[in-house]
Amino acid sequence: MTVGTTGDGRQLGEGRPTLKQQLFSTTLDNGIVVLGERLAGLESAAIAFHLPAGAFYDGTGRCGLATLAGEMMLRGAGARTSREVIESLEGAGVQWAHSVSTSHSSFAGAMVARQLIPALPIYADIVRRPRLPADELEPARQMVLRNLAGTEDDPAHRAMASLRQLHYPSPWGMPAEGISADVADLGIGEVREFVARRVIPTGTIIAVAGRIDWPEVVDRIAALFGDWTSAGDAPVATGPRGPRVRHVPHDSQQTHIALGWSAPPYASDDSYEASAALAILGGGSSSRLFTEVRERRGLCYSVSAGYHTLRDHAMAVCYSGTSAARAQETLDVMLAEIERLPGTLEPAELERVKARAKSALVMQQESSAARAGDIARRWYHLQSMRSLAEELERYDQLSVASIERWLAAHLPAGLSVVSLGREPLEVPDDIQA
Amino acid sequence: MTFRHERLPNGLEIVAEVTDDALSTSVGFFVRTGARDETDATWGVSHFLEHMVFKGTDHLSADEINRRFDWMGASANAFTNEEDTVYHAAVLPAQQHEATALLAEMMRPALRSEDFATEKLVILEEIRMYDDQPPFGADERCRAAFFGAHPLGRSVLGTVESIEALPVEAMRDYHRRRYAPGNIVLAATGAVDFPALVETARRHCGDWASLTDDAPRPVAAPRRGLERSLFETIVRPAATLAYGVRMSPGPAGDDTDRFAAKLLATVLGDDSGSRLYWALVDPGTAEQASCHHQDFRDAGLFTTQLACDAADAEDLLGQVTEIYAAAAPAGITTFELDQARNKLAGRVVLVGERPRRRLFSVGLEWARSGQYRSVADDLTIVEGLSLDDLHRVLSHWPLDGAGATVLAGPGTAGDGPDPVNPSVPAADDTQ
Repeated sequence: MTVGTTGDGRQLGEGRPTLKQQLFSTTLDNGIVVLGERLAGLESAAIAFHLPAGAFYDGTGRCGLATLAGEMMLRGAGARTSREVIESLEGAGVQWAHSVSTSHSSFAGAMVARQLIPALPIYADIVRRPRLPADELEPARQMVLRNLAGTEDDPAHRAMASLRQLHYPSPWGMPAEGISADVADLGIGEVREFVARRVIPTGTIIAVAGRIDWPEVVDRIAALFGDWTSAGDAPVATGPRGPRVRHVPHDSQQTHIALGWSAPPYASDDSYEASAALAILGGGSSSRLFTEVRERRGLCYSVSAGYHTLRDHAMAVCYSGTSAARAQETLDVMLAEIERLPGTLEPAELERVKARAKSALVMQQESSAARAGDIARRWYHLQSMRSLAEELERYDQLSVASIERWLAAHLPAGLSVVSLGREPLEVPDDIQA
Repeated sequence: MTFRHERLPNGLEIVAEVTDDALSTSVGFFVRTGARDETDATWGVSHFLEHMVFKGTDHLSADEINRRFDWMGASANAFTNEEDTVYHAAVLPAQQHEATALLAEMMRPALRSEDFATEKLVILEEIRMYDDQPPFGADERCRAAFFGAHPLGRSVLGTVESIEALPVEAMRDYHRRRYAPGNIVLAATGAVDFPALVETARRHCGDWASLTDDAPRPVAAPRRGLERSLFETIVRPAATLAYGVRMSPGPAGDDTDRFAAKLLATVLGDDSGSRLYWALVDPGTAEQASCHHQDFRDAGLFTTQLACDAADAEDLLGQVTEIYAAAAPAGITTFELDQARNKLAGRVVLVGERPRRRLFSVGLEWARSGQYRSVADDLTIVEGLSLDDLHRVLSHWPLDGAGATVLAGPGTAGDGPDPVNPSVPAADDTQ
């Protein structure tokens, strides 16, 4: 077991206290990575378990298996019944959450700091001793199916999910929430087999943040998880991407437009350049898309651009929702702004992006839950911790020239476009190349 | 944490909850105006004006405002509800003056006709966006049914027709009357330099003329709601699920039982671990079944939200009412009380350590009541609530009593579930 500590201080604004970030990491002998960030100014603590059991491992025709398995893990664990699992967390005042992403099944909790150590055995039961009872399968399946039906009523979510499916090679782009026909067909045997195969120490990240006593937390986690062993799993083969352009018919007043092109994953050297370029395009209220699409023309209420990253793939994403009659003009203006971006970046635009990013980084230290999730995600991408000082340093290094270099090399080759609404939109052939 | 208060000669109030070692500062202007202060002719003006405030002043363009917020790394936004319009920014402490000064300047917008015409298109898009989303208008229709002709029944966004018909002159008049300094609170939380905040306010707000709004005082809201239950449906063929919203009367914002009402709603209908959760969500019967308590200055209500398959909707609305009906005779258990108190206490602490979340608690409370409650005060209130408090609220405000219910979905129809207890008295001001 190794323990590393990073402490750094950096002046953040005149006359204000120096921010002292304390980061910790250790790897248990069975491969579990335990990360910590002490935020002494907080009264709370948060924990996040990122288990390598995301939708990526669902398997062909089994889309939703990870989500169903995650739901089943909460339905009885160790000596606790399904109801006792939830009641024990809530009785301790834990704000709990479970979610499944492409890469992980995540169990998270935020609480008053003194409840962290007592909450650990509950999480150990959920993670290591889920009962996965056959009589809970049907209620869990119905819950997953109802949630899926709910996402059908969220047009913006559907447009973005469809874009990920189009753009990323399978299974990276498959919807984590599942596909109804697949979920309807899943059996208890598959769920148990999935949990045995994917809820394993190798690849598991446990992150704690807030008012924590790191040695105590590590001792307790080592005692509860140190003797956990598991077999390995076969690698997943990746498949083809979808078509470049798709229209999803939907009877709504607004048409939702989602478009994207390939960007470097977070671990790449130039991911900050990509992220900054997209922030200039559509990241704030002074961004180009907001100014040109909403402020100048009043075409929509929502328009934005951002950076979406998986481990091996990433995407530049733009979104807008607008009434059907104005959707074509909205798409045309969005495409024109993307095309206009290279060669026109202004230093003032970059300064604003830096200011927003730095400010957001600092303010994130006010939420133990946000920090626990963040250090876990960064470890997944980088296999190391990145301190706030390093992060700020990386933003300082950004220049108009470095972003222009990235744009010149990456600007949209092979744009994927999804429209969801009453009528399809015209997408110029030349941007689909 | 210390609380500070100051009042400028023109009536503008300045309040701050100062946490010296906080990493950020949040500031906001809380204007005591919203949908309930509108008339048929100005329906939607409060929210539309909130957008127009970002379109600039005589000396500032909209682009400059957007650039200045981004340049200072601010997380800035605004919202409008029935009683408040709030403009807020979270910044690093070094930007306190810059953020406050910019927001202050914005409170005196130019309201240019050409901006008004362009922004009207954005408002219409916002109306369409929400109309395409769950609960497909069921919430607004339900509030309209619950409050009837009272202004609290007005939707905040207005309608396509009311927005299209609104002239810019009506907005200018509304702004002149409602944005008087005596009707505004400047609030700040986090690492606040209070003397500097007051100085910024003096410099940028000190010359705002104090006006008296000569419009009639808002009508008091009905406290006990409806004489008989109402049920309406909205048909949306494209909807996958059905969405039900039910509203019944509850303690108002000036009633000390409002805290017990929130705890009761947690026991009965929190998003997880509540009676509705175990009966309807955990078995996978409903996608959502939850209850919360909302209070206005002089009215309060319990709102139940249900999302489920259309075929099950009316049956499940009936089950919800039965769960409520069973609560009073059988009572709430000590276990349920403890669980709910622990949950609420946890939430109070987690919200309490984020200045940008505290800003709303501090600012909205002061704007409404002129009172300040610290995180410790809130914890004391939560910990002091007893079973007697919950049972008193249950007997005064039966959630299964007369209420308004609206069901939106893909072709739902019918007369609605049979009301279990349709005969709750409808008298006003019975508290």
